[in-house]
Amino acid sequence: MDNKLLSLAGVLALGALFHAVPAVAADEFTLGAIIPLSGASATTGEDQRRGIELAVKDVNAKGGVLGKPLKVIIEDSGGKPQTAIDAAKKLVSVDKVPLVIGEYSSGITIPLGQYLVQEGIPHINPASTSGLVRKIGATSHSMVGLDNVSTEFAARDVLGHGWKNVTILAMNNAFGQGVAEEFRKHFEAKGGKVLSTVMYTLGQPSYRRELQQIEAAKPDAYVFTAYGTEGALIMQEAFELGLQQEKPFYSILITMMNKDTPAEFKKGLIGMDVGYLGAGGESYRKDYEAAYKEGFLSAYGGYAHDAVEFAAAAINKAGSTDHAAVLKAIDELGKQGFDGATGEIKLDADRQRTSQPYLKFKVEGAKLVPYE
Amino acid sequence: MFQFFSDALLRAADLALIAVALSAVYSLIRFPNVALVQYAVVGAFLAISLQSAGLGLVAAAALSTLAVGALAVLFNLAIFERLLKVESSIALIGSLALSMILSAVFLLVYGPTAYRLQLPVLAPIRLMGVRLTTWQLWTLGLSVVVLALFALLLLRTRLGAEMRAVATNAPLAAATGIETRRVTNIVVFLSGMMAAIGGITLALRGSVSIDMGTNLLLPVFAAAILGGLGNALSAIVGAIVIALAETVITNTNLGPLMGEAVWFLPASYAPVASFAILVLFLLFRPRGLFVSEVTRV
Repeated sequence: MDNKLLSLAGVLALGALFHAVPAVAADEFTLGAIIPLSGASATTGEDQRRGIELAVKDVNAKGGVLGKPLKVIIEDSGGKPQTAIDAAKKLVSVDKVPLVIGEYSSGITIPLGQYLVQEGIPHINPASTSGLVRKIGATSHSMVGLDNVSTEFAARDVLGHGWKNVTILAMNNAFGQGVAEEFRKHFEAKGGKVLSTVMYTLGQPSYRRELQQIEAAKPDAYVFTAYGTEGALIMQEAFELGLQQEKPFYSILITMMNKDTPAEFKKGLIGMDVGYLGAGGESYRKDYEAAYKEGFLSAYGGYAHDAVEFAAAAINKAGSTDHAAVLKAIDELGKQGFDGATGEIKLDADRQRTSQPYLKFKVEGAKLVPYE
Repeated sequence: MFQFFSDALLRAADLALIAVALSAVYSLIRFPNVALVQYAVVGAFLAISLQSAGLGLVAAAALSTLAVGALAVLFNLAIFERLLKVESSIALIGSLALSMILSAVFLLVYGPTAYRLQLPVLAPIRLMGVRLTTWQLWTLGLSVVVLALFALLLLRTRLGAEMRAVATNAPLAAATGIETRRVTNIVVFLSGMMAAIGGITLALRGSVSIDMGTNLLLPVFAAAILGGLGNALSAIVGAIVIALAETVITNTNLGPLMGEAVWFLPASYAPVASFAILVLFLLFRPRGLFVSEVTRV
């Protein structure tokens, strides 16, 4: 009886051992990515997934990474920090990837990056723009310009429309706080006035209270930023309350929420977002439209695309997956510049992107149209 | 000022249905069922699913309400009746566990995304400077009608008299020939239905995500305790007080104090009102606003 139990335990242990072996074939080269495939930002997450998919195709057409075909293991963050960190632990300890790309919102990218820095794993932020991203740590890099740059563009744009007194509505997380603070700084330095700032908690069933609070200041325009379906709810409630019909709304990083918002709730909405430049951007747009039969879901797919391309180039340059060698290669590539779908990518001494194209957008029907 | 009262009234209607349901069940079986707030979420999600499956709005809402009532009875028979044989505090912990399980089931089935009912877009209404939506008025009306029907049932029917008899003295009620188990399960059924309607009215005016139940827990409990647990109809008054307090917190312009023209506390501070009132009442008036037979919550 004892023997039987013992052998049963042995079989179970063996089974567990086999399970611990990564399920990826040895002839593939794997990278990890953590993006919001579910939750309020799922639409952007899908766009990021497409960007990654196109980048993998492109890298493999050029010969793969270190002589092997590239595969990116994609994990869903669910839009929650803890889920993202759990996914990172799995990628690092089970899949043993040499580099992790992620996430989307700063509130998640920062703890995720901190975990990866602590483990010494190279991290590439493909989307988050909070100023706090700069402080994540030594192995973290950004493919996107941070909010000190983006809010200055937005402040100039809002003043350009003649709106001198505004209220700000932003989510209460690292990203929203950064946007609200930086926008106020730039806007008031240029002669505008921020009448009030309302920070909202994510995931509420209704944002009517916040909308009534921003209305109380009687501004010329409402400046706001919101993720995906929450942006859609805010726009719908602003419409239902009649706010939209009275004063203009201006969306900072408008592609985050445009796709999820029905046309009837965003008439006349304008805003800004990160943009695409150069020949790389044009060919990415063509590949994307050929593969998915529609335009970009957000502005962030291209940055996820570039994160994969950049990582693949850096690892090829390093010639190995050794963390120190990869980090050194990223530094060199960042100094020398890398041409991606989002224009030339150069990194500063803090490993953040130095310059960044932005575009002004306006809503026409359901679509977002760039304008000058 | 009118905006203030309409905001408070709408919020009170959110809380009142579920708080009354909680209090009514408590009056019979002497434990506050934490899972009731999750029944509201089940009701909202079911209605949304049924509607996207092709049912009309009214049919989806009605079917979902009945289903949640049945579910509440099922849980009562399968779980709470047994736990109550041990002790009411065990049943309370059991309901907390059930609430967590339901929340995990929502996460599995619906994920963290927020959902909405498909509703026609209606133009906003302005009444004396108050911004209202047509759906807000509909849901307010629905809540009032449901509460009125429940009050009529409780005060004017034989079943209501039996319910009150069981609540006051269950053994005595049983001795006079009232089937206490049947009465209890009818009330549990009604409480499930009221919670579901509460959830559906919330869904009619906003979006529903898996956090809805957790967000409702505190204000609903505060409202029920304020009214005096077990004193079903006075939970309505409790809900109004909590709603007024929450609205004071979110609608008061603190700008002059902060040296700015306009400055509000973040709306996420609203639960502070429920907490503060709850603590004050537990300390100084644990029987609630009105005297009831409950001496302790």
